[in-house]
Amino acid sequence: MRGLLPAAFVAASIAAVLGAGTTGAAPILGKGSVLPEGTELNEEALDQPNELFASELAGGKRSYLLNLGDLLFSSPEILGGLARQAGISCNTCHQQGHNNPRLYVPGLSTRPGTFDTTNKLFNPKSDNGVLDAVTPPSLRGARYLAPYGHDGRFASLRDFVRNVIVNEFAGPEPSGEILDALVTYIQEISFLPNPKLGADGRLTAQASAAARRGEALFAAPFRHDPAMSCASCHRPTGAFVDHQTHDVGSGGRFKTPTLVNANFNAPYFHDGRFDSYAQVVAYFDRHFDLGLDADQQRDLVAYLEAVGDAAEPVVRNTVQSTLDEIAAFVSVLDIAIPEHNREIVALTVDAVGNEWRELGENFPGRGDTSVNGGLSERLRAREAARGAVLALRRVAMAAAAEDFAAAAQAFADYRQHVASAAADLKQAEPWSLYNPAIRAAHFAAIRRLAELAK
Amino acid sequence: MHRSSTLSSLAVAAVIAIVGSRIEAADMLAAGAKAYKPFAAERIGLALAGARELQAAVKGGDAKAAQAAWIKSRKGWEAVEPITGEFFPELDEAIDAWPDAKQGYHAIEAPLFAGKLDEVKAPTDKLVADLGEFSRRLAAPNFRFRPQGLLNGATKLAYELGENKSKGGESPYAGTSLVDMQENVEGLEAVYTLAFADALKARDAKLAAAIHAKIEEVERLVKIADIKQLDQPALRKAAEELAVLLQNAAPRLGLKKPAIRG
Repeated sequence: MRGLLPAAFVAASIAAVLGAGTTGAAPILGKGSVLPEGTELNEEALDQPNELFASELAGGKRSYLLNLGDLLFSSPEILGGLARQAGISCNTCHQQGHNNPRLYVPGLSTRPGTFDTTNKLFNPKSDNGVLDAVTPPSLRGARYLAPYGHDGRFASLRDFVRNVIVNEFAGPEPSGEILDALVTYIQEISFLPNPKLGADGRLTAQASAAARRGEALFAAPFRHDPAMSCASCHRPTGAFVDHQTHDVGSGGRFKTPTLVNANFNAPYFHDGRFDSYAQVVAYFDRHFDLGLDADQQRDLVAYLEAVGDAAEPVVRNTVQSTLDEIAAFVSVLDIAIPEHNREIVALTVDAVGNEWRELGENFPGRGDTSVNGGLSERLRAREAARGAVLALRRVAMAAAAEDFAAAAQAFADYRQHVASAAADLKQAEPWSLYNPAIRAAHFAAIRRLAELAK
Repeated sequence: MHRSSTLSSLAVAAVIAIVGSRIEAADMLAAGAKAYKPFAAERIGLALAGARELQAAVKGGDAKAAQAAWIKSRKGWEAVEPITGEFFPELDEAIDAWPDAKQGYHAIEAPLFAGKLDEVKAPTDKLVADLGEFSRRLAAPNFRFRPQGLLNGATKLAYELGENKSKGGESPYAGTSLVDMQENVEGLEAVYTLAFADALKARDAKLAAAIHAKIEEVERLVKIADIKQLDQPALRKAAEELAVLLQNAAPRLGLKKPAIRG
């Protein structure tokens, strides 16, 4: 037995398709995976999409429902079939409520960043016999982006979420509380601040001259249809959408995507066919016969880049950030235990236990000789994380036995354990996979192993 | 005076009873640890025999036989995993290193199952030497398993059984991750049954029964034909519950709560 799983690097041909080869990419290779060989879930990145919540931006705090929804979003337990078995959660495709441009499942993805949600592998009941992979979109600003689904098939976010759980991923019928929590979480995910874009939807002084020229072009009438402009669908208000679906020659009617923070939403279009704004602008120039010259196309791209920007699109994972997330998740138990809510206690323990396990595996054990130094610190950190998993398991065991007094005591013991564990974890951080150099050495060793297996 | 003398006598009797009980428990644990040793010796013997067959097959250029021998050796090793890291940490590091592909089972596994016999000769020779050393140290008459170490190792392995196997498990190139787990469970069961079951039954029959039932549950979960059928979440839950129950057994056995290091 040992630490991180032997996710390995795929053959050069697949690597080329995926654009792999950089630290962190680790498609599945080898026998025994429940997922197709060559699957890339992009789980190893140290930098994660930044996730901001509306309540916190407004100076408030995360609610119980937000924390519950956040943890459920990372829980395979609410899904069924292969997803549950493979440890896939909503967060796999929407990392930190954003998208996952490297996501690739052979047979279900037409290119990285896409996934066919109506397939026989994840739910035979929804298999439509067509490889119609779509991009899992970023959920930033989702509360402003109704209707839901690329083709806008759901007016209600709640209905959309239920459909994902039950029909796309074969999960059990979710309780009202689970749906409420997930909807609360998704609705709380905010657009990231963008200093180049004002609240009125106009560019600020921080935008470039080219972007400002592009802004004018964006609002200019199409030469063959003066009633239309880019801005007639992407309305330059809060979210740059019109809540409508349109046929723009991409194979059906699809809803107008937001342009806010869209620099980080590639690949573009419902099926991820375009990698860049330049390709998108060139396509629309052809499709609507806009007659834009090269400079104008560049200006439009500059405008899109200004609107789509964000001040801090990614954040580095650290021990502290992971502990903060765990603390937010586990706070759900402050309410679920007194309420004697066995289902939520069990789901919380499973989800948070997973987080602790992942945290612990970021500290290479004795058998990981690719890492030098800090062995005693690493071992203490592993012990601390593993201790937290078991301390939490005691909570679930007590709750399952309907002994909620014991569950409350076990939760108090867990918190006491975590208070001392945090110091051990932080002390070992320099020798952990939170250190980019250690991470590189660790994954280089995995790559060498995969090379040997070719 | 008389009352005080009676109390003193009772206190002495109580101390004698407690000490006697502790000695009895310690004796039972020592006997249990002794009973476990032949199991460990047998399985590490299998690991060594398999490694030697692997060495011969590699020398003879027989890839199929070499792969079969690797699997045989690996099975023996996985059954003694409760003790490897706890009692022989340096050898454990050399034999089961991951992911650094310089020595040990996984350094051999990757090229061997790709049919590259030339690349496995050196690590195979090293594996045979390391397993030989392991076997010699284990067989030494003065080597005894410490009950605390055995409980630590069993608890750690129970925890590790809950690690995610959905992406292929521990031996993805050989495709034997399920066998690894089955042998782990057998090894864990051997530690508990041989070293602790009797002592725990005498002190807390209910807890002993709960541990027995949990081991059986874990066993059922891994007794499947294909790792792809594994109910990973159920295994994780059961494995963690088993680890908690083993932790609970520690004070009943006069031992410290097992740490999960490694």
